[in-house]
Amino acid sequence: MRGFRREWGLAVVLGLFLAYLAVRAPGFFQGRQLLALATATAPVLVAAVGVSLVIICRQIDISAGSQFALCSVVLGMAAQRGVGAVGPVGVAVGVGALTGAVYGGLVAGVGLPSIVVTLATMVTWREALRWWREGEFVRDLPERFQWFGLEQTSGQWMVVILGLVVLVTGWVYATYFSGGRFIYAVGSDPEAARLAGIRPRRVTFWVFVAMGGMVGLAAFLNAVRFTDVDPKTGTGLEMQAIAAAVVGGVAVAGGRGNLLWVFVGVILLASIGPALVFLKLPPQWERAIQGGIILLAVASDRLVRGRAGVRERRER
Amino acid sequence: MKARTTTVGGGGSSWLRIETVLVVMLVVLLVVFGRYGRNFWTAENFFEVIRLTVEIGLIAMVMTPVVLSGGIDLSVGSLLGLCGVVFGKLWRDVGMTPLAAAAGAIGVGALGGCLNGLLITRLRLPPLIVTLGSYSLFRGLAEAMTGGVDNFTGFPRDFLFLGQGYWFGFLPAQVPIFLGVSMGVWVLVHRTTMGRALRVIGYGREGAIYAGLPVDRHFLVLYTLAGLVVGCSSMIYVAHVGQAKADAGTGYELLAVTAVVLGGTSIFGGRGSVQGTFLGLMVLAVLKNGMTLSDLPSELVGIVTGLLLLTVLTGEVLMKRIGKVGREGEG
Amino acid sequence: MLDVLLELRSVSKAFQGVRALRSVSFDLRAGEVHALVGENGAGKSTLIRIVTGAHSLDEGELWLGGEKVGDYNPRIAHARGVAAIYQQPALFPDLTVAENLGIALEPGTGFRWIRWGARRERAQGLLRRVGARIDPDRLVSELSMPEQQLVEIAKALGAGARVLIMDEPTASLTPEDVGRLSGLVRALRSEGVGVLYISHRLEEIFDLADRVTILRDGEVVGTHEIGSVDRGKMIRMMVGRDVTAEYPVAVEGRGGIRLEVKDLRCREAGIEGVTLHARAGEVVSVAGLVGAGRTELARVLFGITPKDGGEILIDGVSVAVGSPRDAISAGLCYLPEDRRRHGVVGEMSVVENMGLAVLSRMFPWGWIRGETELELATRYVKDLGVKPASAYAPAGSLSGGNQQKVALARWLAAGPRVLILDEPTQGVDVGAKSEIHRIVRGLADSGMAVIVISSDLTEVLGMGDRVLVMARGRIVKEYTRAEATAEGVMRSALVESGDEVCERGGGR
Repeated sequence: MRGFRREWGLAVVLGLFLAYLAVRAPGFFQGRQLLALATATAPVLVAAVGVSLVIICRQIDISAGSQFALCSVVLGMAAQRGVGAVGPVGVAVGVGALTGAVYGGLVAGVGLPSIVVTLATMVTWREALRWWREGEFVRDLPERFQWFGLEQTSGQWMVVILGLVVLVTGWVYATYFSGGRFIYAVGSDPEAARLAGIRPRRVTFWVFVAMGGMVGLAAFLNAVRFTDVDPKTGTGLEMQAIAAAVVGGVAVAGGRGNLLWVFVGVILLASIGPALVFLKLPPQWERAIQGGIILLAVASDRLVRGRAGVRERRER
Repeated sequence: MKARTTTVGGGGSSWLRIETVLVVMLVVLLVVFGRYGRNFWTAENFFEVIRLTVEIGLIAMVMTPVVLSGGIDLSVGSLLGLCGVVFGKLWRDVGMTPLAAAAGAIGVGALGGCLNGLLITRLRLPPLIVTLGSYSLFRGLAEAMTGGVDNFTGFPRDFLFLGQGYWFGFLPAQVPIFLGVSMGVWVLVHRTTMGRALRVIGYGREGAIYAGLPVDRHFLVLYTLAGLVVGCSSMIYVAHVGQAKADAGTGYELLAVTAVVLGGTSIFGGRGSVQGTFLGLMVLAVLKNGMTLSDLPSELVGIVTGLLLLTVLTGEVLMKRIGKVGREGEG
Repeated sequence: MLDVLLELRSVSKAFQGVRALRSVSFDLRAGEVHALVGENGAGKSTLIRIVTGAHSLDEGELWLGGEKVGDYNPRIAHARGVAAIYQQPALFPDLTVAENLGIALEPGTGFRWIRWGARRERAQGLLRRVGARIDPDRLVSELSMPEQQLVEIAKALGAGARVLIMDEPTASLTPEDVGRLSGLVRALRSEGVGVLYISHRLEEIFDLADRVTILRDGEVVGTHEIGSVDRGKMIRMMVGRDVTAEYPVAVEGRGGIRLEVKDLRCREAGIEGVTLHARAGEVVSVAGLVGAGRTELARVLFGITPKDGGEILIDGVSVAVGSPRDAISAGLCYLPEDRRRHGVVGEMSVVENMGLAVLSRMFPWGWIRGETELELATRYVKDLGVKPASAYAPAGSLSGGNQQKVALARWLAAGPRVLILDEPTQGVDVGAKSEIHRIVRGLADSGMAVIVISSDLTEVLGMGDRVLVMARGRIVKEYTRAEATAEGVMRSALVESGDEVCERGGGR
């Protein structure tokens, strides 16, 4: 039915992939390994949720990586000053939300295209960060910071669970709350949304703020894995997040996308790297395979739905 | 009436202002850095500026018609790396001559562009997404081919001349190539039927179809051409730095798009010019060079670039809005 | 007595100097079905937009429920119980039917929990009321046009509208759906809803309406109880004027057959077997109501929409038209209806626009020479009288009439043997209108076969050596110049599904 074909195709691919791994490289599924992988993937998942919402709203954000780095450094410094365990989260989310507000203002307020705005800020944040920190790590984080002050395994579980909580919360909001549905409405047809009494500019603004906040949260989930913060962290995050979204069925044209399938996309893309290692294949193929998967995903999306030029978008 | 071939697009006056703004900016930068920079105002330095900009410049130049047609190509940086790696492999492992290997590498560039073009035209996929995918794919292939660590060095002197040599003792070898390609792209955009068609497509794909223009054919040629130019650029890059690495060209697509948009080309397509991109490129290059010679931190360059882009665009939007208020009630 | 739900008092509205409504007064009572009729361009759409708040009125007053309305916009209209169902549904294509209804009908704050089950049930209830057999979980993009319309009606119902405007609601419905809809309208009427019913289907109007208001050229000709008018009288009131002898007459005789279309079919475009012919030197007018399929026919002929079956012959040679390029090289050109989007590239200059269709012909090596282009443009600017005579002005800065001339020049440059003009004088001032008519006549005299699609009856009758009338994707009637009358054409255009007859077959 309704495009389920395509998403179930994704599930089938993942299933086959995992089955193959189970046979050829069972080590992949070893508990500790899986947990480590899940922990490393949780931040990507959170970022992917944020980016998905932005894309569903017919915008894009290619600066997630730089936002991430900025939030990481700031939260690291906050942790250094001993703001407790909860403080850093607030700081990270706050900084992220702030950058999101900047985007929202420029896109919804001034009317600049999001691709250009996030392109410009991507460079700006990254360079500003480099200038400020001069490449220096944020060290001497209090002991209670890493893994929330718990021992490693518990800490890892916390990160994974928090990541899943964000996913579920995002999904619930996007599915069961009118505000979330407005995002879909605006992405599907901003004009019809306006006529229906929704304010597309406002929705767009808050989507960017939300995305920023989520990037901040992702930064936090990532930071607690280490004892210091690398200002070069987050490189390539935006691509991973967007890739996962696209593979998970989020349409670039807006209005469509299920966060749960984005989750599947995240898992698939994140597993490639370690899988290659366990299958004793050259790990450098990871990126190529990811790229191939993205192209296959969008191509199959188009072929299956047969949308080539059929849908008339009502123009302004 | 004197014949013209490209007219100033729609919001006439505001477009002119961009070019003039850039020229003014350029002059200001030249003066300022002349004052505060060390050895700024020397012929050597100017040529170095151009030398350093050629690789990105070639890409920015060919990105102009892509953006004019309402599209974008985010895979150019990755393709640059891939072509370089292919070149290295062909030369070192397959034993080809540098010339043959370069031809092969440039061919790979064209193939990559062609792939983009096919996905965009046959499957009607948006260029943004296709090139996001190929961005990963090309970079990934480059990494796979080098195992992530390998890099190719030790190229023969003759080849390195391309990137490091000087004609007549002072003109960097790349400059003629850059100027040649720039002229070629300018001619393509402003004097050929294809350039005209790309603009029309940028202003509205449907309108172009109703006018009987072969939209798909133009797209295919365009993206393949872009890949070709990227291939050439990668040869110059490798010759310049003396090695071919998989991560070459990282971030180039962003710089290219920045130069294009700064130069007044609308990201939505239709409006813009190649000379605008050239000016935008020059502004960025002079900025970087001048700031380095003035002992300012290199990071500031990136920050200023980003802010500059946003300011210029915001200004444009606001000016258009003022213009629209004045012209209300027009058909 | 019956309350007056809606009243317009001496409302006038003009767009850029062109009068759309002239001192229109009109009222809608509770529990009545009030029909609004008039030919294309009579002002019905403008009236609707004013009632729904999409347009502001220039003069006059709007009264709702006995109160004069001050600030007015679609949101306020909606809140006050005014709902409209248009031919182009404003639905969200990527969302389900249930959700579309939900978003429209639930109060608009951002932090409500959505009960999908309740949504689905309510959607189902509304859909049942409208008689639509649609699964509420389907995406709107998967629905056909008629189905989408039904959803729109369900939406309006759900909003508890007191004033319901229905703009050509049955345009694409099957007879049974129409019957169901009529029953629905009657049910609404008995509930006290006031229905403003715009339709060309006179049968339905006589069946459903209590009163009918006839609009012509932006003015109300009259408002009558339905019992006091008959079909003929209504048509006469819609059409009204005499055809004045202000149109250029053919000088030359007619030549051989230039264009022949045999049983052209295209499901996507709704073309159900069209057969027609056009001779050199002849101007053929194609009349019909909105939705009759005239533009769709042109699009199939021009290669924008691929045909399913049938043949197209130009000068006796069968041509395969797979794209506009094919059409142009076969000698068939099309001036589209949507001037802004398809006719002219507003941001580009007059010169660039004019040469667009013949670029590869003018410059086979791809190199554009400004002088050649300029020569071409200067010639047409002179011949067609484009003002201002500045070849490099952006086309969008010209007036509607002059833009149309630029668009026309583009096709003339291609030297077509058959030229199809779709609403060539729409949005064009009177002066430029007659200029364009003269130009078209001249083109025919020079040997072209010209087909003019028009909603302006005067134009149809004045220009056409022959008049073809289309309805529901077919040609239903053909008139010679002598036979054609405004009433006759209108009557043919209003033909119901029962009597589709193509009286004078083509191909002779």
